[in-house]
Amino acid sequence: MMNVLYYLFRVLIYPGFLFISALAFVFEWIDRKAHAHFQNRIGPLYAGPHGFLQPLADFIKLMAKEDFTPTWANPVFFNITPVLAATLPVFASFYIPFTGMPVLPPFEGDLVLVLTLTTFFTITAFLAGWFSSNRFSSVGAIRVVLQFLGYEIPMFISLGSAAIAAGSLSITKIANSQVIPFAILQPLGFAIYIIALQAELEKIPFDIPEAESEIVAGWLTEFAGRKLAFFRLSEDLRLVLGAGLATAVFLGGGSGAILPPIVWFLIKMVIVVLIATSLRTVFARLKIDQVVRGAWKYLLPLALLQLLITKILLVVM
Amino acid sequence: MMSIYRIPVGPQHPAIKEGFQWNFKLDGEVIVDVTPRLGFVHRGIEKGMELRSWVQGIYLAERICGICNTPHTTCYCLAVEQLYDVEVPKRAQYLRIIINELNRIHSHLLWIGVLGMEIGFMTYFMYVWRDRERVMDIVELITGNRVTMSMNMIGGVVYDITPPMEGIIRRGLDYLEERTKYYKEVLLNEPTIRARTENVGVLSKSDAIDLCAVGPTLRGSDVKSDARFDEPYSSYDEISFNLVTYPYCDVYARALVRADETLESIKIIRECLDKMPSGPIKVRLKRTPPPGEAVARVEAPRGELLHYVKSDGKEKPYRVKMRTPTLANIPATCEMLKGYYIADIPAIIASIDPCYCCTERMLFIDINSGKSWVWTDSELRRYSLKYYRERRK
Repeated sequence: MMNVLYYLFRVLIYPGFLFISALAFVFEWIDRKAHAHFQNRIGPLYAGPHGFLQPLADFIKLMAKEDFTPTWANPVFFNITPVLAATLPVFASFYIPFTGMPVLPPFEGDLVLVLTLTTFFTITAFLAGWFSSNRFSSVGAIRVVLQFLGYEIPMFISLGSAAIAAGSLSITKIANSQVIPFAILQPLGFAIYIIALQAELEKIPFDIPEAESEIVAGWLTEFAGRKLAFFRLSEDLRLVLGAGLATAVFLGGGSGAILPPIVWFLIKMVIVVLIATSLRTVFARLKIDQVVRGAWKYLLPLALLQLLITKILLVVM
Repeated sequence: MMSIYRIPVGPQHPAIKEGFQWNFKLDGEVIVDVTPRLGFVHRGIEKGMELRSWVQGIYLAERICGICNTPHTTCYCLAVEQLYDVEVPKRAQYLRIIINELNRIHSHLLWIGVLGMEIGFMTYFMYVWRDRERVMDIVELITGNRVTMSMNMIGGVVYDITPPMEGIIRRGLDYLEERTKYYKEVLLNEPTIRARTENVGVLSKSDAIDLCAVGPTLRGSDVKSDARFDEPYSSYDEISFNLVTYPYCDVYARALVRADETLESIKIIRECLDKMPSGPIKVRLKRTPPPGEAVARVEAPRGELLHYVKSDGKEKPYRVKMRTPTLANIPATCEMLKGYYIADIPAIIASIDPCYCCTERMLFIDINSGKSWVWTDSELRRYSLKYYRERRK
């Protein structure tokens, strides 16, 4: 009985669902506040100290709004995609070792499972846009997939070279195997992962699928109320997942002196979030053709180069 | 393969802040054709002019467009002064140059920020708009208003620049010059801005002339045309400044033209302050101008602005007609857009610095006969009543 309660606590509260959701809101606040300060603005201010509760307030506000399904949208996909979008990243985050041990027991190959789930998310976004039956949504949906064609493979290869260096496909084992973080040993792979993460999270310069000034809100155009709230939560959850994966795979997970693993893990995740924020501050949005071309011309060869270097070093040493 | 489909950009769309519609015909992401549709924000200003006195006309002209309000009043006042056949005092002419150039700085900085926003570079937008506040402060110092300046009157200007103001203005200009140079540096060196603007929205030199483009759009296509040079008004011929042109013909060239023009404007204001003659700033004129008609041209930030006024010797104008730069640039924009991607739409449309509320006029053209006419207010009202009565049946 105690065992069951313990697992329920782990899954639902810490370090499971509630912890991850809270982290999502905190990271959104960090992102927004840092972004605002980089841009010489103040950012969220009123809800909570320094606007700390603003993301939560936004979420609650959206949840309270009218729920609406357009006449021409496919009701099944239109209603199921927001739920999928929010749950997939949470499920994937259950394999990230926030406290040294993930929520669900790690197994050889959970990295592949997590990547599969992120891929599912992309398909969810495509379906959400496509079945909205809106022209801007359709254009956005196509852009989601086109962008995915660009960044997916370099991202997988960069994670793959870390897995090869660690000799394991389990995120926890990769995290624990690092004496020197892979971000230092494989700077190229880390950089490629960060760039691909930016594309996956649809942040500037890769916010093409929801480019505001071009196609209104892209694949999100028709969503409102609690569906939009779920999609926005999903964006934050994916930030947690992406930053968590980067921390576990490239920054050595929770390893560090004096402080407990969870604190180190959170510090490293915040660093990744701030890198993402500063990247979205200093660039203009690219065009979809430029992104796909750039990904195949530069990111993929560089990712392969990193893989090659890792392999050679492993053989030599 | 996707077949050809249409998307409407506007009248409500994040890329377009005013009511205007561009109907795009697309093949995938590529623009095949575009149809502009005007008329969403028609306010009947020309008719309104005929219903008001000559002096009230200044304030109505000022409200045609919020951003380029001074060029509108300058143009209107220049036209009416031609009817009186007077020349305003030299000091008033210099003050007019200063206030027009301040307006140009504020408009161009605004536009450079908007370009950043349209291509998704929000940081650039925020920084440029922060520094634009400085020019607004200068304008407020001189006129007491931030945006709608109310500087011009028929026969001169309303506000004078006193010696204590001069130092503050010069310090503000130094700051603006430094910041504008920095933003031009960013334009020249930031790879993502160049990736989004270079070779986008190309308008060849011959097309620009054929389609009657005006202003920075025309000068970005390497055509030397500027009302301040071609037909100097208000003592512009006594000031030395450069006419900025760039040969690249794309959005990037238009951005550089505006950045350089901002720097030129700062120089012009400095020279005006140096050369400022003493004397009165206005002349007293009779209430109504003598009968006649006149045309004035002014180089507004967006391009050449034209006002036509006709007087029949009464208290109110007989007819006032304006041709605003955005209207002149719309055919050129349609040409620029063809063959580019959806992603280029905001940057290309923004590159003419559109101001749709300036543009809206009521002109009827019968396509079959090629005849065009203008309806009066009451005729329009009669037509609308008839139209809805017939529809209700």
